[in-house]
Amino acid sequence: MTTSATKQPVKGPSKRSGLGISRAEARRETIAAYLFLLPFLIVFVGFVLIPMVMCLWTSFFDSTMAREDIFVGFGNYIKMFQDDIFWKALMNTALIVVVAVPTVTAFSLWVASAIYKMKAASCSFFRCIFYLPVVTGTVAVTVVWKWMFNNYYGIINYVAKGVGVIDNNVNWLGNPKTAIWCIILILFTTSIGQPIVLYVSALGNVDASLTEAAQVDGATKLQTFWKIMWPQITPTTLYILVITTINSFQCFALIQLLTSGGPNHATDTIMYYIYYQAFKLYQYGYGNAMGVILAIIIALLSALQFKVAGKGND
Amino acid sequence: MKKALALVMAGAMALSMVACGGGSTSTATSGSTAASTGTSTASSGAATEITLWTYPIGSWQKEETVNGFIAEFNKQYPDIKVNVEYLDYTNGDDKVTTAIEAKNTPDIIFEGPERLVSNWGAKGLMVDLSDLWTEEATADISKTSEAVVNACKGADGKYYEYPLCMTAHNMAINYELFKETGALQYIDEETRTWTTDNFVKALETLRDSGKVMTPAIVYCGGQGGDQGTRALVNNLYSGTYTNADHTAYTANSAENVKALELLQKLNNEKALTFDPALQASDELQMFANGTAAMTFCWNASNEATYAEQVTFTPYAMNFPTDDGKVELCGGIWGFGIFDNGDDAKIEAAKTFIKFICDDATQGPASVQATGFFPVRSSFGNVYAGTEDETRMATFQTFLPNMGDYYNVTGGWTEQRTAWWNMLQEVGNGSDVQAAADKFVETSNAAIG
Amino acid sequence: MNTVTGKMTPYKVISGIILAILTVFLVFPLYWIFTGSVKTAADINTPTPQWFPTNPTLANYEKLFDNPALLWLWNTIFIAVVAMALTCITAAMAGYVLAKKKFYGRTVIFSLIVCAMALPKQVILIPLLKEMSFLGIHDTLWAVILPTVGWPFGVFLMKQFSEGIPNEMLEAARIDGAGEIRTFVQIILPMVKPGIGALAIFTFITAWNDYFMQLIMLTKNTSLTISLGIANLQAEMATDFGLIMAGAAVAAIPILAVFLMFQKYFTQGITMGAVKG
Repeated sequence: MTTSATKQPVKGPSKRSGLGISRAEARRETIAAYLFLLPFLIVFVGFVLIPMVMCLWTSFFDSTMAREDIFVGFGNYIKMFQDDIFWKALMNTALIVVVAVPTVTAFSLWVASAIYKMKAASCSFFRCIFYLPVVTGTVAVTVVWKWMFNNYYGIINYVAKGVGVIDNNVNWLGNPKTAIWCIILILFTTSIGQPIVLYVSALGNVDASLTEAAQVDGATKLQTFWKIMWPQITPTTLYILVITTINSFQCFALIQLLTSGGPNHATDTIMYYIYYQAFKLYQYGYGNAMGVILAIIIALLSALQFKVAGKGND
Repeated sequence: MKKALALVMAGAMALSMVACGGGSTSTATSGSTAASTGTSTASSGAATEITLWTYPIGSWQKEETVNGFIAEFNKQYPDIKVNVEYLDYTNGDDKVTTAIEAKNTPDIIFEGPERLVSNWGAKGLMVDLSDLWTEEATADISKTSEAVVNACKGADGKYYEYPLCMTAHNMAINYELFKETGALQYIDEETRTWTTDNFVKALETLRDSGKVMTPAIVYCGGQGGDQGTRALVNNLYSGTYTNADHTAYTANSAENVKALELLQKLNNEKALTFDPALQASDELQMFANGTAAMTFCWNASNEATYAEQVTFTPYAMNFPTDDGKVELCGGIWGFGIFDNGDDAKIEAAKTFIKFICDDATQGPASVQATGFFPVRSSFGNVYAGTEDETRMATFQTFLPNMGDYYNVTGGWTEQRTAWWNMLQEVGNGSDVQAAADKFVETSNAAIG
Repeated sequence: MNTVTGKMTPYKVISGIILAILTVFLVFPLYWIFTGSVKTAADINTPTPQWFPTNPTLANYEKLFDNPALLWLWNTIFIAVVAMALTCITAAMAGYVLAKKKFYGRTVIFSLIVCAMALPKQVILIPLLKEMSFLGIHDTLWAVILPTVGWPFGVFLMKQFSEGIPNEMLEAARIDGAGEIRTFVQIILPMVKPGIGALAIFTFITAWNDYFMQLIMLTKNTSLTISLGIANLQAEMATDFGLIMAGAAVAAIPILAVFLMFQKYFTQGITMGAVKG
């Protein structure tokens, strides 16, 4: 189709009708626009916006099961900052994001650059392979990894012992030092599929004449990459950064099914801790307060990514 | 004109979407709407429809068993339709929680006092079942154990549970393996007891034999089956889990700390393994396939479940003690009714519970399906003449060792999480006293 | 970079090796699911893993289908397909006007959408739960579908796509006297088709895998999804990897089949989805 990454982002032209349209026309446009928006707005307001407001509202209450809510002001937020486990969960979440996001992005870029010039068949073979864990489904992937990491009859211990990496069985998911890395590893396998597909196509769209010209001019491969290709794939990179960040923050099934946040809270994440507070201890107000904080963190981070990555783009 | 048409079209699109949504709801969920519409018709005197949610207690997780019981029930009460949902212990509590928040709770629920009485009952969600506790029933159940009667009663004196069956949770060893390695000398086969010292010796013997991957596993990957680890810790040096009137947790007492330190030492010496990646179910699996030489999570029902899988004799044992006085954790299961505000349904639910628990022929059959023992002494031996008779006779001998039923202490839910987290810390080599103190602090704070 | 069929450089050898390792690493879990599902309990619970199932058995599948596994599968498909269809329709319409129309409140709505996108869905679950019960649709598949449709990502995506439509085309349509609906159906929809394809695939996968939402919203054994079903199979007293692998296999097969059949569209769709970033 006509849309393509190589074209300039369309920004200016949409302002065209902004000038001097008549009042009647503006009204007409507004009514038509809202009618088009209506189906979405109903669901959006009903099932996203209202719960969001309720979430914010409840975060100022001590709210639990089968009892009237008690207003506590910022009580839940104060409690949160004094809650060691919350801080631990926050640090774990940060660790997952800080490790997973750059790794996934860099690695998928590398894989994509390694396969995008291959023959069509092999390229699509690899894309397919890397995308498999994504489509298989988180729960299915998680349960098989749980078995593979098993201390006693997991294949990972067997292989690692076989090749001499370890002497004794390692309790991968039971050791506070290794558990979170196992989680990150599994998250990695389920996260790289999409970025690879995206990068393969973005790299394929880079204008070949530009790179050739640069090489004729004596630029090294690395220089060609940074000067010519990188700017052109920046929008893709930005998109990948954002979705990977959100995915990493929301990693929940992995934790719930593999470690329940243990051992010693080593794999507690904010997401899991919210779930635990709300659904195990019925601390709805407290859980919601953490949700609000998490939302703010993600929003700030996304904004930051847009800003940083957006710089090179314009 | 065109504009008007556009508006109508857009509106129609929006409407059709909503309509389409509404329309298919009824087809997709026709099964569920039947249950919820029952509410309005129930009081009109026509058939009453009630819902039973059951946790996996013995064969009560099997559809054919439960449906058989309902068929029996409907022979006498054809006007009461019973729908059943089967919960599991992994997500069951979440489901009940969401159901409570969604005001979508079942009428009847089948579990134990720690949920029915101290959790949902204490929150005022359950119906007072005092009228089921007739003088006859109370006397009959008291004769078996006064503790059962007390456990079913909330702090407010109301009964939130009507019990069906009970058991004493114990542990089991791999008999052949013990024999082969020479560890058998450390147990008293007559009384199925052992001392703390002999327990340690047995573990060391098993470890040194090299015939088993790990002699024992202290599972702490979640709360499931935690009665086993609690009983183990408490019995080693005769500690208690809570104080006598169930107002404070006492896991940091000198006896308990000593026990935890012993376990930590054994863990360091590889005589047993603290495993934060395993839950009770995993540990049982390890025991059943010979990876571990004993399990701390055993009872009559588990023995029945794993009977087909094991290639050895799982030999039920008491927990090791220093003073010879074993205190086993009791398990009590029974029915409670969620207060959905519909008297007709509550009545129907009570009728069902009475039939299942008290009926002269159904009662014993209901108990038999659980694989545990009746709370009613008048039922006598419900396993007499069945193929389970000998096995159950063995487990019957554990019942007198049942200790204090402390599961009704406040903050029970929080405490359960804190417990396995504490075990994880102990297994990880942290200071035992500090970990136990932290556990007690967290748990006591939750008593509220 | 280099010419397509260059000589073997050390870099190429190393990258080949890494790719091979990665392939094994990603495919092996799948292999392990399928082989595990036909292994006996004894063959599974052994410290020396069996690379190939020597005594294949269907016992795990028999045990699995004691549960309403096919119904779970159907529920999952229903959720994914309906959520996909509704999302595509609503998002295409909303995305178009947000990109191409000037109207009062546009900035506000778009800001709300962007803000809501950053919010992790899970944090609104408790209010959402209460709302669903208020509406009487808790524990129905709609309780999972509607919040998925309301999720603003699709609108964001479709807005980015619709911005690529040349204004001249809209202008021409207006001059031709085409009404709003006709403009949308005849001009906009064909132009954003790749975007819709991308969104469809994206929504389908998201809805299929949205374990958390399903966990909270669905209770009854008959309204479970296959993911929940597998998770429930890990019941407290019997961890049975063979059975769980059978469940995982049943969960994975349909979506893998769809993926392999439509692989081209998948990759195309995903790519289209990010064109704008």
